[in-house]
Amino acid sequence: MKNIVTLFVLTISTTAFAQFGTHLASAKAEYSKGNLEASRFAMQQMMTELDMQIGKEVLTLLPAKLDALAANTKNDNVMANTGLLGCVIHRDYGTEPKDARIEIMTSSPLVASINAILSIPMMGNSSDGTQKVVKVAGYKSVLQKSVDSETKKENYTLQIPLNSTLLTLFADDSKEAEILKWANTIPVDKIAKMVQ
Amino acid sequence: MKQTLIILFCGFLSYQAQGQLLNKLKQKAEQAASNAAEKKLNEKTGSKSGGTTTTGPGGTSSGHNPSNTGGGGLISTPPDVKQNLADAEASYKTKSYGEARYAVQQAMLGVEMEIGNNILNSLPETVSSLPTEKSADQVTSTGYGWAGLTIHREYLKDDKQLRVTIANNSAWMGAYNMYLSNAGYSQTTGGTQQFKQIKVKGHKGMIEYSEGSGYKISVAIGQSSLIMWEGVNFASEPEMMKAAEAFDVDGIKKQLGEQ
Repeated sequence: MKNIVTLFVLTISTTAFAQFGTHLASAKAEYSKGNLEASRFAMQQMMTELDMQIGKEVLTLLPAKLDALAANTKNDNVMANTGLLGCVIHRDYGTEPKDARIEIMTSSPLVASINAILSIPMMGNSSDGTQKVVKVAGYKSVLQKSVDSETKKENYTLQIPLNSTLLTLFADDSKEAEILKWANTIPVDKIAKMVQ
Repeated sequence: MKQTLIILFCGFLSYQAQGQLLNKLKQKAEQAASNAAEKKLNEKTGSKSGGTTTTGPGGTSSGHNPSNTGGGGLISTPPDVKQNLADAEASYKTKSYGEARYAVQQAMLGVEMEIGNNILNSLPETVSSLPTEKSADQVTSTGYGWAGLTIHREYLKDDKQLRVTIANNSAWMGAYNMYLSNAGYSQTTGGTQQFKQIKVKGHKGMIEYSEGSGYKISVAIGQSSLIMWEGVNFASEPEMMKAAEAFDVDGIKKQLGEQ
């Protein structure tokens, strides 16, 4: 069984490299021929391949469980945007009404505003308790709470900026201590290094 | 005795007056010396300070921070495409995907700069008797692909100017296509004509006129590129159109790999 899994992983890796390798060869050949636009297109394809690859690697780093909430790996998703917006990595856990999800967006446009909140002490913590600054694995993060007006259940959002990448953990029908405990099981350091 | 007293009093007054005069002279001399030193310093540093509001030879009251007078700027050589592709391959093999991505991005930046420079070199040297302003030639690329490549050239003589901007993979394209598909921006029969759909060498586009900025022609080329001419002090629409038609739009389109 272990051999089959290893073979499967190797096959996937080889296929991925085959595609990257094809685009790389194309980029080099077209550039040598002076077909700059064709070379550029091949490079864009390489970027997409790399974003997908980075996304898949990050998914392997995410925890398989958040306490009792098991990962719905069939919903795992990596979406590459070729370039500026980087890629979006998605994993969700549990089932409604108690569920959680992790969204990681590289080159996120939200990072600047989150960093502004983190750098101005007055902005970080709201008096009504709906927003506060916390630390997760040494990274300053913004924790926001919202209460469902009908069910009165608490939903939390934790945003962790990692350079230009934003890691967001959403937890519905949860408690502050719970989401912070889950967040601390995410290998934030390794993810930050991977997406850098 | 009285005479002696008068003489002594006059002598004293004279001494005092001389002292005041000397002090004044001394102050004047000091001020002149200070101004001369300051002027010399300003000449050396290139500062345009008038010298009257400064507090010392340093020229500023906040310390002695010198102003930068040299350095030559940054080297504008584009990244080496082949080297970056080799780096990307090596990083990918060692699973350093972040490094590989950076290298591909640099390679893309390099190739985009080359495309931009080639297009710039293919543009006419003179348009409507306006010579190229070489110093304004500019190729801008983010290396991201999405934000694209921008090529800019200006032609200028006296108060007449033509600016041409070519944008590839441009984020403006959405707004531009909205322009073309929106009836509100189409030709009108009454009032002042500000927008009009036209064709430049068979490519659909739009001409605009405003009293403040002059003529502007925008033409979409292919799927994601845009070429825009802005004419200041052009006498008429036909003159502006003639200037736009001096450009090899199909050649630019081909170089950008547009269909």
